[in-house]
Amino acid sequence: MTTLQSIVLLADLDAMIREAQSPESRARLRKLGFDLEGLPRVMAARARLADTIDRRWTFSYERTRQRYGRAVAAVRERVCSGCFVTLPTTARPRAGDAPAPQHCESCGRILYWT
Amino acid sequence: MPLAALPGNDLSLCIPDLKSKKKDAALAEMAAAAEAAGVVTESDLLLELLKLRERLGTSSLGKAVALPHARSLTIPHARILVARSTRGIDWQAPDDVPVQLVMLILGPAEWSDDAFHALVARAAASFRLQRTRQKLLSAPSAQEFALVSRQALA
Repeated sequence: MTTLQSIVLLADLDAMIREAQSPESRARLRKLGFDLEGLPRVMAARARLADTIDRRWTFSYERTRQRYGRAVAAVRERVCSGCFVTLPTTARPRAGDAPAPQHCESCGRILYWT
Repeated sequence: MPLAALPGNDLSLCIPDLKSKKKDAALAEMAAAAEAAGVVTESDLLLELLKLRERLGTSSLGKAVALPHARSLTIPHARILVARSTRGIDWQAPDDVPVQLVMLILGPAEWSDDAFHALVARAAASFRLQRTRQKLLSAPSAQEFALVSRQALA
């Protein structure tokens, strides 16, 4: 798994954990019949995943997460889904290049090109 | 929910006969089908997320039904994949009944809890009637299975 993939998984996992910790969301999911008792196991998996990522990026990730809630933004149609700024065509990683993490020049979120 | 999220004429969103016998393999089969259908950009990441979601608690609701669900940056648009296992899969269901019907509910990361839970609730409601589950289990062809899935979710 590349650094960017690990960061993307970490962001999705953090959103899942936040959902499982929210009393309203927990209540709704329980009402539907879902059991959420494995939260400590998922938190442990999250810690293990974070340990696999270069410290430079985890620091950047956590700082951005504290600021915005979500540290990673998907880029859809060349638009950062975090701040809705259209990114320059030159920002897109070239096809064939190993996808490396990069920040949105406008909001600073880590970008995930889709 | 946008109609495009429903399986129907698009047979790529329906798997009438899951080959996998185990939960993780079934999730992998569905994630791969989702990538092949253009629903997800990286099935490996989706699969890891779905496995972690199962660690949070089983996504089976009992009565041979499971509703694995995830929101991810790798998912551009909300989609639902419906799959059937004739043999049944051990999904650690609350009633210990092997799962035969699986509805994989996928949403973009940007979706709010409210919006995503509404989609999950709708999917859960569609499987609640025994008549619907029976129709899905006895659908003789992929087309029929897709049609019944669409009717159930409509």
